[in-house]
Amino acid sequence: MAIMRINVGPIHPGTHGVLRLVVDVDGDTIKSVEPHIGFLHRGVEKLMETRMYMQNPSYTEKLDYIAPLSWDDLYVNSVEKALGIPVKEAAQYERVILLEFQRIASHLLWLGTMVNDIGQLFTLFMWCFRDRAKILKLLEDVSGSRMFYVNLRLGGFNKNPPDDFVDRCRALADYLQERISEYPDVLDADSVFMERTKNIGILSRNDAISYGVSGPVLRASGVDEDVRISHPYYIYDKLKFRIPVKTNGDAYDRYRVRYEEMLESISIIRQALEMMPQGDTAGMPIRLIGPAAKPDTVVMQEELPRGEGIIYMVPDKQRPYRISLRSPAFINLSVLPKISENMRFADLFSIVGSLDVIFAEIDR
Amino acid sequence: MKGKGFDYLKKITAVDYTDHLEVVYLLYNTKERKDEIVRVKLDPETAEVPTLMKIYPSADWYERELFEMFGINIQGRETKKLLLELWNGVDFPLRKSFTWGKPYKKME
Repeated sequence: MAIMRINVGPIHPGTHGVLRLVVDVDGDTIKSVEPHIGFLHRGVEKLMETRMYMQNPSYTEKLDYIAPLSWDDLYVNSVEKALGIPVKEAAQYERVILLEFQRIASHLLWLGTMVNDIGQLFTLFMWCFRDRAKILKLLEDVSGSRMFYVNLRLGGFNKNPPDDFVDRCRALADYLQERISEYPDVLDADSVFMERTKNIGILSRNDAISYGVSGPVLRASGVDEDVRISHPYYIYDKLKFRIPVKTNGDAYDRYRVRYEEMLESISIIRQALEMMPQGDTAGMPIRLIGPAAKPDTVVMQEELPRGEGIIYMVPDKQRPYRISLRSPAFINLSVLPKISENMRFADLFSIVGSLDVIFAEIDR
Repeated sequence: MKGKGFDYLKKITAVDYTDHLEVVYLLYNTKERKDEIVRVKLDPETAEVPTLMKIYPSADWYERELFEMFGINIQGRETKKLLLELWNGVDFPLRKSFTWGKPYKKME
């Protein structure tokens, strides 16, 4: 049969953003896939060179509108490193707690939409969104806004957390533990979900390393690598947690890794709540940044929900001279042509879905 | 570098210091969990680096980005396909000499 070329996107419900794929198919089998990106390019790196340090978090948040706090924290943390500003201890605990809640919220949204795409219609989608809404409510009460928080300041937060913060977090962690544990009952019993994720989009261990993927995609391929362990920041070295690792590297394993990560995040939150000291968490007001000692370069890495985010910054006195963002979803997407070869066309979207891509971050 | 166990290329990026360009490679050793940063100084006029695609396939998109954003030529790549594709491939936005508001030149 002759090879047929099919255009997918740039606007397509299965790609979760503006991704154009040019797919060559032989019958129903994919022969090659060519991703075309850049439809959402805003030139964020260039823009950030023109703004002062604490004007930039509103850009970093929009890099990943599903987990804004994670990118925001990575950026603020690298500025703190550049300017040599210590983070208050209570604020470190609060940041870790909120970051882990943000990770769960991001994974919940991913899970809900991904299973919805591949035919497990709406039951789990509604469950995930119900639980995510509770996390967003907590983050809203802490920061003042529901999606784009901009509540991090150098050295801490814009204000102290509400009085009942610890109790509310604990109650929410209990609630999530109970709810999230119910999900596999739905999914593992669903033959549609199992057939469309098991042995789909296999990425071997060697390829995962040489293609440079990170985060849950890397760990699903059997590589035990997590920035929270290998380059601990804040208080992660004081906490005990497990890194879920799977070995098949297919879409199902990527789901399992993310699912187990959510449970680990809950355990991290509980430990951090247990150890959290009393104290002030308010950071510096935005305007008070004097000229500071500047190192030549700053490299800061953190584990974002989608993988390893790195900021390579050449700091200047009031603003970054050059800032370069390593987007985990960018490099996770670049592996798509490799893993979708010889798959069926219908499975392309469970593969794209399982990579958890987000285009605001990929195109920058 | 790969012989020394640095099997994971995290990122390639570049910095324009106006008098020279610097290409930065962030490498990682997954077994020993060690980082390494390699910096290469280049002349802005004749900037060129060899491709790493044979050693690290992850270099593919980063190299396309280097060419598109900094105008750094990549030796040994057959295609000069841009990554973002909507840009013209004549002006290099992340260089400091790039000026805002120039009329948009169409790609040939």
